[in-house]
Amino acid sequence: MKTRQQGEPLRKLKNFEYGAAQVDHENAPILLVAPLPKRSKRKSAQLVSSRIKKQLNLLDEQPKPDLDTEDEEEFVPSNTALYSSSDDEEMIDGDEGELARKGRRRRITERLPPRSEKSPSAARACRKTRSKKGESDTPRHGSPTIPSRLMPAPQPNYVLEVARTRLHVSSVPESLPCREQEFQDIYSFVESKIIDGTGGCMYISGVPGTGKTATVHEVIRCLRNAANADEIPSFHFVEINGMKMTDPHQAYVQILEKLTSQKATADHAASLLEKRFSNPAPRKQTTVLLVDELDLLWTRKQNVMYNLFDWPTRRHSRLVVLTIANTMDLPERIMINRVASRLGLTRMSFQPYGYKQLQQIIMSRLNKIKAFEEDALQLVSRKVAALSGDARRCLDICRRAAELCEHAVARTSVARLVGMDHVMDALNEMFSSSYIASIKFASVQEQLFLRAVIAEFRRLGLEEATFQQVLIQHQALCRVEGLQSTGVSEVLAVCQRLGACRLLLLETSRLGILQRIRLNVSQDDVLYALKSD
Amino acid sequence: MCQAIMSKRKAKSVRKPISECITQLHKCLRERFCHDQLPSTLEASEAQHKHLLGLLQRTAIHGESNSALIIGPRGSGKTVLLKCVLRDLLKEKEVQKNLLQVHLNGLLQTDDRIALKEITRQLNLENVVGDKVFGSFAENLVFLLEALKKGDRSSTRPILFVLDEFDLFAHHKNQTLLYNLLDVSQSAQAPVAVVGLTCRLDVLELLEKRVKSRFSHRQIHMLSNLSFSQYQERVASQLSLPDDFPDRSFAEDWNSGVQSLCEDKSVEEILRRHFNFSRDFRSLHMLLMLCLSRISPVNPIIKPADVLEASRMCFTDSTSNMLHGLSILELCLVISMKHLNDVYGGEPFNFQMVYNEFKKFLQRKSNSMYNFEQPVVIKAFEHLQQLELIRPVDGSSAKTQREYQLMKLMLDNSQIIEALHKYPQCPTDIKQWGMSAFA
Repeated sequence: MKTRQQGEPLRKLKNFEYGAAQVDHENAPILLVAPLPKRSKRKSAQLVSSRIKKQLNLLDEQPKPDLDTEDEEEFVPSNTALYSSSDDEEMIDGDEGELARKGRRRRITERLPPRSEKSPSAARACRKTRSKKGESDTPRHGSPTIPSRLMPAPQPNYVLEVARTRLHVSSVPESLPCREQEFQDIYSFVESKIIDGTGGCMYISGVPGTGKTATVHEVIRCLRNAANADEIPSFHFVEINGMKMTDPHQAYVQILEKLTSQKATADHAASLLEKRFSNPAPRKQTTVLLVDELDLLWTRKQNVMYNLFDWPTRRHSRLVVLTIANTMDLPERIMINRVASRLGLTRMSFQPYGYKQLQQIIMSRLNKIKAFEEDALQLVSRKVAALSGDARRCLDICRRAAELCEHAVARTSVARLVGMDHVMDALNEMFSSSYIASIKFASVQEQLFLRAVIAEFRRLGLEEATFQQVLIQHQALCRVEGLQSTGVSEVLAVCQRLGACRLLLLETSRLGILQRIRLNVSQDDVLYALKSD
Repeated sequence: MCQAIMSKRKAKSVRKPISECITQLHKCLRERFCHDQLPSTLEASEAQHKHLLGLLQRTAIHGESNSALIIGPRGSGKTVLLKCVLRDLLKEKEVQKNLLQVHLNGLLQTDDRIALKEITRQLNLENVVGDKVFGSFAENLVFLLEALKKGDRSSTRPILFVLDEFDLFAHHKNQTLLYNLLDVSQSAQAPVAVVGLTCRLDVLELLEKRVKSRFSHRQIHMLSNLSFSQYQERVASQLSLPDDFPDRSFAEDWNSGVQSLCEDKSVEEILRRHFNFSRDFRSLHMLLMLCLSRISPVNPIIKPADVLEASRMCFTDSTSNMLHGLSILELCLVISMKHLNDVYGGEPFNFQMVYNEFKKFLQRKSNSMYNFEQPVVIKAFEHLQQLELIRPVDGSSAKTQREYQLMKLMLDNSQIIEALHKYPQCPTDIKQWGMSAFA
């Protein structure tokens, strides 16, 4: 995790400079970086590979320990310079306004080297690219950040608080317990492809919360460590997520941007990637592409999926595609034959966690902190395993139980472990259905209406009745209960209210008294709720 | 300034003219009923308040990401709870300086594109210039996610996302926004708290399974378990004037008047009826508002008759009120439709059937007083359709001739009977005809 976070900004940063330099190259004859071999045919490919090699050399030579602040500042000035120089004609007001508003960036611009240092050709090139792309890429020049807080958040102090922090789903442990086999399989698959320099596809499936994405990330982390130790050739890693895109075709744009930090439209990006993966280039690195939520990339013609699975089959692509989705039979269900056949048969499915595994996961997270009673843990893991086997659910319940215990400790000031009672409370809170409680706490007329609905269902022998029919029952029940007689629109309002919180299913309210009514809860639940008071 | 004037007045004279007191009273109470003034403490939902406050505190102070849903029927005080929690939370200086808030409403942000722009604008990210968000939808999403991804637990300012009408967000395409917000809350990125407010109990079934898996399943239910005596107390406390009212003696008189009003038997009966009808405070405020609007210098105190009148206004049946305004011919048509419904067990009818029924009545009973031409009757029939007292069975109006289009009556028999009783100067024979089949 650590290594990747350090590595990526650096690469991006170098790539950006490289991108700018390339723009430069297109417009001016002067070459800034390296003299090229005079093979005009594959000039661009040569250029690309030599540049990439050079960056990586740079990257290896000067591993910086901390890149968060200094590099960014170093990086931003040139960036803002480009921005402001190119902006002169178009949006002076906007630029000024923005500069005035953001003290941080103005400070940076003040520290800029004078513009005359930049070669005029570069400035012209920039202006050209900018006007070509229009105003819409303003965000590219901003660095996307959320402002930081005044002082860092306090570290957790006592046992329960530490336990709660570790139980948060976001604190993924170094190595995932109970997924050793899957880890090994994926690892050996990707490793062999990287060493052989070939490409391939793998399909990983499993219900949510079974550790698919986390396992793949761990594999990549280990492979990167191995690459750093020169055990295997180095590789690119690109991750896209179908849910984090607005449109399946955005996949091309994101892959291209993560590989070369170029920006392009979807069609252009597709053709660039096509070129990149089909042309041979010596010393090309393997690319590992992780596609999460694959089913969202479905389009009518399925060309996005087709391309993703077709590239690895090219001879020179050196692309390994790992795809993740929820359903096991996704290739058979939604893919047309040529796509499914290219996906191949390398598949893996993640089974839901059993109760022992869930227990082990919590134990490894807690890491010898004594915060939970043994039985309490067992109860949580058994309950969750029986329902879904979702590790996220398990962790959330444990965290809630720790919270409840904390409240109890604060109230009684007697330190204790998280026990059965807290876990039971948390389980009830998160799993119990609220229908019964909300019927119990409904007003008298609402309860009466539900009873009228059930009475009418019994009379008709159907599970559906019109409002008019229920109304008759309701008024009869009102007389039996000795309540004041109610008007039609009053009862209609009661019915609408029950419909709004989905105890009843209603047709559109335009139908008035002709609308049909169904129950959204089982009759037994309603009767139970009404009886117990 | 207002304060200054008031204090000056207070110094000048304790007893002020009654009209001025009434104006002050209206101002004070109307603010309470219409502007949703926040109560100082939430007695009814103490546990929920504590739960939510603790949750948001951990996000704001410790940078822990959380998600929660507040579920409760309409008018049960979800927004009030959230506002109270935010008010209490922002009392702390540290929180006040750190917490960023993003408020979204499912009725305004009807798709992810608009919601995303709104988030970007409210967070004031760097692709915002002035009030305008630059970039396409896809770029905005990438930008926002990038920004959130760069953050970490301890150093980034926590963000609170409030999604009002949460169930409408679940109808967006692919639930992209919800997935991303909840995914951020479940991964080591900028600390966020996602709080949804909804009235649907089945909201979790609307979520896709991967979105549902990322939601932490914390649900805060706003269920009011209040008894009738608590309801009465609430009425009294809502009506009584605060201690800082300018004219003390008027306030005391008023409060004692309210107290005696609540003890009145007939008022208690009315309140019980309202309590049986619904337990939400919004409809109670409606009732009290109607009472309050009858207060004037001539009538400076709420009388039980006022409450009765207000309650009658709340509970009037709008459809049978509409029947009072119909002409005799239209009423006759409604009666014939009622008879058709009684005879044929609710089967749909067309104009010809109604007209025949009406003619039968004319032949049987009456002299030729209501002997209208057919086009006139058609006109009356169409007027009923425009008022939506009758409704075509199938929507295709153009295909069939209007005389033969099948219709259904959208009135209940009880409404028609009630209207006949109250109809001003209803001819006796028509009244008898209307009642005749009712046995």
